[in-house]
Amino acid sequence: MAPLLEIDRLSVSLFTRAGVLPAVDGLSLRVDAGETVAIVGESGCGKSLSALAVMRLLPEPPARIVGGAVRLAGRDLVTLSEGAMRRVRGKEVSMIFQDPMTSLNPVVPIGAQLIEAIRQHNPISHRAAQARAVALLEKVRIPDAARRLDDYPHQLSGGMSQRVMIAMAIACEPKVLIADEPTTALDVTIQAQILKLMQELQAASNMAVVIITHDLGVVAETADRVAVMYAGRKVEEAPVEALFERPLHPYTRGLLGATPSPARFGGRLADIAGTVPSLAELPAGCAFAQRCPLAFERCRLERPALSAPLPHRLAACFATEKEFSRDGAPVGS
Amino acid sequence: MVRIVARRLAQIVPLVLGVIVINFILIHLAPGSLFDVMTAEQQITSPEMLEKLRHLYGVDQPAWVQLVDYIWSVLTLDLGFSYRQNAPVLDVILQQMPATLILMLAAIAIALIVGVTAGVIAAVRVNTIWDNLISLGAVFFFAAPSFWLGIMMTVLFAVKLGWLPVGGMREIGVDENALQATFDILRHLALPATALGLFYAATYARVMRASMLEVVRLDFVRTARAKGLSRTRVVIAHVLRNALLPVVTLLGLQLGTVLGGSVVIEAVFSWPGIGSLLFDSVMSRNYPVVLGVLVLGSLVVAVANASVDLLYMRLDPRVRLR
Amino acid sequence: MTATIDFARRFARNRAALAGFALLLVVIAFAITAPWLFPRPPLRIVGRPEVWPFLSWRFPLGTDSLGRDIAAMVAHGARTTLLIGLFASLTATLIGVTIGATAAYFGGWVDEALMRFTELFQTIPNLIFVLTIVLILGQKIAYITLAVGIVTWTPIARLTRAEFLTLRDREFVQACRSMGMGDVRIMLREILPNALPPVIVLASLVVAGAILFESAVSFLGLGDPDVSSWGRLIGDGRTLIRTSWYICAVPGIAIMLTVLALNLIGDGLNDALNPKLRDR
Repeated sequence: MAPLLEIDRLSVSLFTRAGVLPAVDGLSLRVDAGETVAIVGESGCGKSLSALAVMRLLPEPPARIVGGAVRLAGRDLVTLSEGAMRRVRGKEVSMIFQDPMTSLNPVVPIGAQLIEAIRQHNPISHRAAQARAVALLEKVRIPDAARRLDDYPHQLSGGMSQRVMIAMAIACEPKVLIADEPTTALDVTIQAQILKLMQELQAASNMAVVIITHDLGVVAETADRVAVMYAGRKVEEAPVEALFERPLHPYTRGLLGATPSPARFGGRLADIAGTVPSLAELPAGCAFAQRCPLAFERCRLERPALSAPLPHRLAACFATEKEFSRDGAPVGS
Repeated sequence: MVRIVARRLAQIVPLVLGVIVINFILIHLAPGSLFDVMTAEQQITSPEMLEKLRHLYGVDQPAWVQLVDYIWSVLTLDLGFSYRQNAPVLDVILQQMPATLILMLAAIAIALIVGVTAGVIAAVRVNTIWDNLISLGAVFFFAAPSFWLGIMMTVLFAVKLGWLPVGGMREIGVDENALQATFDILRHLALPATALGLFYAATYARVMRASMLEVVRLDFVRTARAKGLSRTRVVIAHVLRNALLPVVTLLGLQLGTVLGGSVVIEAVFSWPGIGSLLFDSVMSRNYPVVLGVLVLGSLVVAVANASVDLLYMRLDPRVRLR
Repeated sequence: MTATIDFARRFARNRAALAGFALLLVVIAFAITAPWLFPRPPLRIVGRPEVWPFLSWRFPLGTDSLGRDIAAMVAHGARTTLLIGLFASLTATLIGVTIGATAAYFGGWVDEALMRFTELFQTIPNLIFVLTIVLILGQKIAYITLAVGIVTWTPIARLTRAEFLTLRDREFVQACRSMGMGDVRIMLREILPNALPPVIVLASLVVAGAILFESAVSFLGLGDPDVSSWGRLIGDGRTLIRTSWYICAVPGIAIMLTVLALNLIGDGLNDALNPKLRDR
C-alpha cells in the first residue's frame, strides 16, 4: 500500500557565511493515514527543518532543499510551483508550531484569522465561514465559542491559543498534520490536554500526524512509530513500544538513559558525554562516534547506512549490525 | 470607549496650562518692560487704550496675580488685541488657521503615502537596486532643509517648467466655482505640501522598511504562509498591519515639528496660514499675536497628538485595556 | 580599552559612516581655514554681482546680488553653522541628560512631573517656540543657540531616562548603594558613563537637527545680522531665483552635505553600538 506521505532521501542545506551545512541529509520516512509518527532528536538535529521542507516553508536565504522528494499521495511537493504548493498548504498538509502565543497575528481577532484559513481553500460566504469557525472552536473544546471569535490572541492563555492554532490547522480537513513541538511552550498540565485533543481529532478524521519533539514522554504517549534524528540524519526508526523496550542505536539508548523514569529512581541520570558535532565540522564516519561507548575503528572511517537488524526496525550503526549478525538475524534493509 | 477618549482628551488640559505659564514667563523675560515695548512699538497713545492695556497686563499687580489673570484670560479665549490687524488676536489667528491645517494635513498625507509605500517596496525588494535607490533618496530628503527644497522645487516646477504656481493659495482676481476653486487650491498646495512632507516621508520610509523586515521574521507570518495564503495577502493583511504601528507612533511624536516646519514653508510660498502670520508678527514685533500663535499652535498639536494616540489604540488591541 | 577599539573597528567597517566622517572633516576644515582661505570679510563686496559659479577662478562659487563672494560666505558660514550646532546640541544634552537621569533615578512623582514637563516641550511647536524666544530675547547668536537647545532636548531626556531605568536596577548599582554611596555620586560616577554611548549617538543627530533649525531661523531673516550663516545666504538669494538661483542652491547644498555627514556618522555610531542588529 502506498504511503500517504513519503519523504524520500530529502536533503536540506544551509548556505551560510561559514559554508554549506548539510542540515538534513538524506532523510526518508513514510507516514500512512491514521498513523502518528514522531521525529525525535535534540535541538539542531534537523527535525524542524525537515518539517518546514515538507511544507516548503524553509527560510529561503539560508536554507534550501538540495535533494530528494516529498510525495503526498504520489505527488512530489518539492517540484511543485509556488502557486500549486499554496493550494496544498493548509488544505492537504497543515502545520502547527511551537509557541502559540506568537504564532497568531496580534492585531487581528482570532475569528478573522480562522475565517481567513477557511475561506482560503473554500469558496463560501463570510457568514458560512463564520459558522464553520464557531464549529471548529467547539471541536477543539473552547468554551463560549461564538463570543471568542472577537477575542484577540493576547486575551487567550497558552493552551487556548494552541487550540485555536489546531482549529486553524484542521479547518480544511488536511490529510497530514505536522506538529512542531506543539506542547513544549505549554504548562505540563495543559500538555496532556492538547495531546489528547490531537489524538481525538485524528481518530475522527483518519488524519496522519507527524509530531516533532525532543520530549520522549510526548513520544511515548502519542506516537505509533518513532524516527530518531542526529546531526541531520535518521539514525533509528521503530514502533514505539519496541523503541522504548529495546533501543538499538547507542544514541537512542543514551537518550532513554538520560530520561528520568520511576524505574531508575535513586540512580544518577545517565549523561551522553560530549556534544553534538557542529554541522560545519561533521566527521567522515559516524557522526555519533566521538560520543559513542560502542564505537570502534570502522565507525570513525565509514558512515553507517540504515540497516534492518530486526523486522520493522531500522538503525544506522555498525555496532548494532555486528551484534545482530552474530545473533544470526538478517542484516541489510 | 467614550471614557477612554474623554480621559485622553482631558490630558490636554495640563499641557495647555503649561504652555500658558511658559507664555507668561516669556512675557516677563523680555528686556525692559514688555508692556512699554508693546505700547511704544504699536504707537498707542490714547490714554483709554493705555489704561485698558495696563489693566489687561496687570503691570502693577504682584506676579502671581498677573499669572492667574493671564491664565484666566487665555482660557476665556481673550488673547489680547492686535493693532496691526485691528482685531482681537484670537480672530486674527483663527482666520489664518484653516490654511495651515490644510497644508499640514496635505503634507502628512504625502509623507505617509510616499514614505510607507517606499518603505514597503524597499523591504519587499530588500538589497536590490530598488532598496538602495529608496534608501539613498531617504537619506537625501532627510538631510535637505525643507525650505531649501521648497525653493529648489519652485525653481524647477514653477520657474523653469511653469507647471505649478510660484506661491500663494489661490489665483487672485479670478472668479471660480467650488470645483475650480478646489482644483486651484490643490495646484497651489502641491509644492508647499511636498516640500514640507518629503522630510517626514524619508523618516517613514526608513522606519517602515526596518519595521517590515522585523515583522516578516515573526512567527505569525509563518503561520499565515502555512495556511496557504498568497505572498501579497501575507504582506498586506499580516505584515503591513503590524509594521505600520511604529510609523503611527512616530507620526504622533513629530506633529509639533510639522507645525513648526509649516511656518517656514508658508514663508517660502506665501501660503496664507498662521506661519505667514507669525513671520509677519515677529518682524513687526507684534507680541500678542506671536504669543497667541504659540498657545493655539500648542493646542492644535496637543489635540492632534491625542487623536493619533487614539488611532493607535484602535490599531493595536494590546494597548487598549490599560 | 579593547571595547573602544572594537567599537572603532566596527564603525570603520561601515563605508557610509566613514564617508560621512570624511565629509564632516572637510566641512570642519573649511570652517577652520576660512580666515586663511578667504581673508577678507565675507560680507564685503568684491566683484560684479550675480556671477555664476564655475565660471572663474576668482569666484569659484559665484557672487550674490551685491557682488559678494559666495565661496567666502559659505566658508565663513561653516563656522557659524558648526558652532551653533555644537553648542545648541551641548545645551540640549545638558538639559536632557539632567532631566532624564533625575526622572529615572528618583522615580515616583519626580518622574511623573518631569515626564509631563518633557511632554509639554514636545507639544509646543519647535520652530514657533524658537522664533518667540528669539523675538523676546533678541537676535544674537547666543540667544539663538539657547533657543535651539531649549527646543531639542526632549529626545535626549527620554533616551537618558530609558537607559538609566535599565541600569538603575542592575546589581552593580545595588552594590554601590549597599556600600553607602550617595545618590548623586552613583548617578554621576556609575550609571552615567554606562548610559552615555547611546546618548552621544543621539546628540550627534541633534547637532544635525540644530543646524536645520538655525538655518531656518536665519533664512527667515531672524538670525544674527552680524553673522554670515548658510540659512541667511539662502534667504538673501530668494528674490533672484528666477535668474540666479544658484545663490540659493549652493548654501543649501552645503547644509545638506553637513547634515548628511552627521546623519551618516550617527547611524554608523548606532550600528557600531548595536552589532546584533546587522540585518541591513
